[in-house]
Amino acid sequence: MHIVVLAKVVPDYEVPSVDFELVSNRAHPRYTRMIGLYDENAIEMGVQLKEKHAASLTIMSYGRKEDIQILRKSIAMGGEKLVLIQGTSDDPFVIADNLKTAIEQLGGVDLVLAGRQSADMDRGIVPGVLGEMLGSRFIPQVSAVENEDGAWKVSQVTETGLRELEFVGNGVLSITSVPENVPRIPAVRAIFAAKKKSVQTMSGRDGDESWMSEVSVEIPKMESTCEFLPVEDMNETAMTLLKRLKEERYL
Amino acid sequence: MGRVPYWNISYGIGIDLLAVPLIIIFLYGLYGHWKRIKQGKARLTFSLRNSSLKIGPVYIGALFTKGILGSRIYKKLFTGVAHGFLFWGMFLLSIGTALVFLNVLFGLPVFKGAFNRWFMSFALDAGGLAALSGTLFLLIRRLAFPPEGLVAPKARPGFVLMEVAITVIILTGFLLEALRIAHNGFDEGAFVGNWVAGLLGGGDSLSLHQIVWWGHGFVALAFIAYIPYSPLIHLVLAPINTSLAIPVPGPKMGVLDFSAFEDEEAEELPSLGVCKLTDFSRKRLLDFSSCLWCGRCHEVCPAAQTGKSLSPKGVIVTLSEYMNKDKFQDDSLLDEISANAIYSCTTCAACMEVCPVSVNQPKAIMRMRQHLLMERSEIPDIMGQAHKSLEARQHPFFGTGSGPNDWRKDMDIPSFEEGKTEYLLWIGCAITYEERTQKIARSMVNILQKAGVSFGVLEESRCTGDPAKQMGNEFLFSEIAQQNIEEFTSLGIKKIITMCPHCYNSFTRHYPPLGGLFKVVPHSVFINSLIKSGRLELRNGEQTICYHDPCYLGRRNNIFAEPRNVVASLGRLIEMPRNRENSFCCGGGGGNYWAEEEGTRINQARAKEALDTGAVKIATACPFCLLMLTDGLKKYADVEKAYDIAELVNNQLKDG
Repeated sequence: MHIVVLAKVVPDYEVPSVDFELVSNRAHPRYTRMIGLYDENAIEMGVQLKEKHAASLTIMSYGRKEDIQILRKSIAMGGEKLVLIQGTSDDPFVIADNLKTAIEQLGGVDLVLAGRQSADMDRGIVPGVLGEMLGSRFIPQVSAVENEDGAWKVSQVTETGLRELEFVGNGVLSITSVPENVPRIPAVRAIFAAKKKSVQTMSGRDGDESWMSEVSVEIPKMESTCEFLPVEDMNETAMTLLKRLKEERYL
Repeated sequence: MGRVPYWNISYGIGIDLLAVPLIIIFLYGLYGHWKRIKQGKARLTFSLRNSSLKIGPVYIGALFTKGILGSRIYKKLFTGVAHGFLFWGMFLLSIGTALVFLNVLFGLPVFKGAFNRWFMSFALDAGGLAALSGTLFLLIRRLAFPPEGLVAPKARPGFVLMEVAITVIILTGFLLEALRIAHNGFDEGAFVGNWVAGLLGGGDSLSLHQIVWWGHGFVALAFIAYIPYSPLIHLVLAPINTSLAIPVPGPKMGVLDFSAFEDEEAEELPSLGVCKLTDFSRKRLLDFSSCLWCGRCHEVCPAAQTGKSLSPKGVIVTLSEYMNKDKFQDDSLLDEISANAIYSCTTCAACMEVCPVSVNQPKAIMRMRQHLLMERSEIPDIMGQAHKSLEARQHPFFGTGSGPNDWRKDMDIPSFEEGKTEYLLWIGCAITYEERTQKIARSMVNILQKAGVSFGVLEESRCTGDPAKQMGNEFLFSEIAQQNIEEFTSLGIKKIITMCPHCYNSFTRHYPPLGGLFKVVPHSVFINSLIKSGRLELRNGEQTICYHDPCYLGRRNNIFAEPRNVVASLGRLIEMPRNRENSFCCGGGGGNYWAEEEGTRINQARAKEALDTGAVKIATACPFCLLMLTDGLKKYADVEKAYDIAELVNNQLKDG
């Protein structure tokens, strides 16, 4: 069994909104870069599957060469091989096409796991497009995967609960975060071992992005206004608060 | 008639001959302890500047004060006095017995004149009486009203037998003396012997004397031979242990060397931290052998006292039991103690402070924590998130709503410039990323500007790496620390003012071994010096203020007076019942700021103690303590009562 986990290095996803700013329509380079939030859940799930089924686990990323140091964490967590396709596009079709090529070059890949949000400015499209390109089944919002007698048994998180699914053949799954796939902290010896591991780099292909042009990127403005209510009489204050909330259509 | 050794005893020399095999048994017992202790790793010596007098690895001051005089025992008055009576009484009796041997062997004239009267009779009777009362107190206390620490999580077997044996030895000693006096007449000075002889009614029983003499001798020799196999081995091990303990406050964690992991040729990589007894140093194994199971550590431990699964005594008991069962290679140790217990330690070092035999409980716990995190990747969930944030963002405040420069918003604060700026005002993560504590930095900046101090800050706030170290990740700590040291060196930073005692502790304890030598001063000390030198003028208020000692400033670095001086210059200082070196932790140390607590919350217990003083304000000198107390107070008070001393000073600056 060969599993590939897609991981993308992104700007810190916890930058407070008041501190967030753009440079050339993208997050300011001063923000710390790290592996995408859900990608780490996908890596953890991949490692668990590897340990359970003695599978091979490859971590694959589309991004910049500088990301390698950050991606090594995925190797320290339990990935066996790291493949980087160099490229800077954030078009999901371009990214998926590059990933598809790399996965086909690897050969014999049974399952592709990806974080449910990353790799395309949080739109979560890449895994679906990749599934289509590879001719594999695609299931989003997956919280658990099992392999029994050659069939994949998958738990999918829905708005109302959990759905159990089953399929045979190759698949691309986008992974969501659940307590069972909280990313492990790499052991120190694994961190050192990961530093020594060679990384396979490939040059990515540019895609045709001319069909669309980015006009502008804006950050939603955070506004806060403060109104003090008189507190001499608490009953009256409560009534005033209720009236104001209704006036502003919060209630 | 003067005293005659071995009076009324035939073949008395037999008792001396019997002593020979029993001493061999005694020595064999000691060898057994050494055999177990030497299975630990030889400790790398850690040189200390300005250390107390030291011969080889032995700290002479500690040997006499803590080891022989047992200075820490008296922190609990009644138990201390009882122990003192027992020890010094038995010490006198041992000298008396040794003198009798010397009299028999070499004719030393100890039974003549004033020496006989005042030492051999009076002092030895007084010693016997003291030892008897001491041992009876300890025996009755142990059996009838044991304190929590003595029995939780378990009481040490063996003490009762030895205490009964001491009682028998002393009582038979007095009986012997009385029987001798009853036959030979009044003995000046032997006030107990004379009184007991009076109770015997003047009867003369030479045969009873012989029976008691031999019985007394056999029990005494058997008692001595049994010491190494009993809890009384602390008589030997405690002075050794205290004399080998490095006499700086708090656990000395040192730094780990990871160069073997970098080495491509290395065949075998060392195990990080501790998962079995042989991973500990010999000093730690000596700790475990010396532990009395007295439970003083349990009684002061914030975790144990608020219902957590950790008892420092419990940890040491488990370790010593593993030693006694020869389970040196058994790596079930951490599971036996439990990761939950290991991570509940706030590293406040209260246990170390009260330990009468200088056991270093936090170091043992931290070594196990290092293994859990660095080898097994085990860490509680919330602490794990903080760790992950520290790894990725260089600060542990995950989910913070503050940006790195929010603390200095609308303020004109100079950056540190080489050759122009004297002090680096180190901001640190706890102040940068928490809205409440940002006020500390803003106050401190105002104070420094008011006093005309040459200072600057770094362009970007950083963490010292201390949380990583406290969580057990020495590797991450080293990486962050080395990065800081490189930056400080390149900027020409020599003097640093800290507002967080954890940062202060890191800079002064853990940075020097990595090459970072800076003059570091905590803000409480710096503010105190500014007030004393008249560079700050304050409006003295009438308000009552109680001061909470941060563990990393007080107990770990002996800084008690300066923050109190600052508080006293602001209002009337009130002490909490547990203060200075006996202070109770806020609960935030050892990475437990990021913990989901079981049992009672430590910060609420401490906040209640502070509120109960009736003080109007609660002062502290640590951002973590401030956050913990502020949170703890929410249960009991609606208004803000906890402040950092910098905030209080800033509010009372004249023309401020």
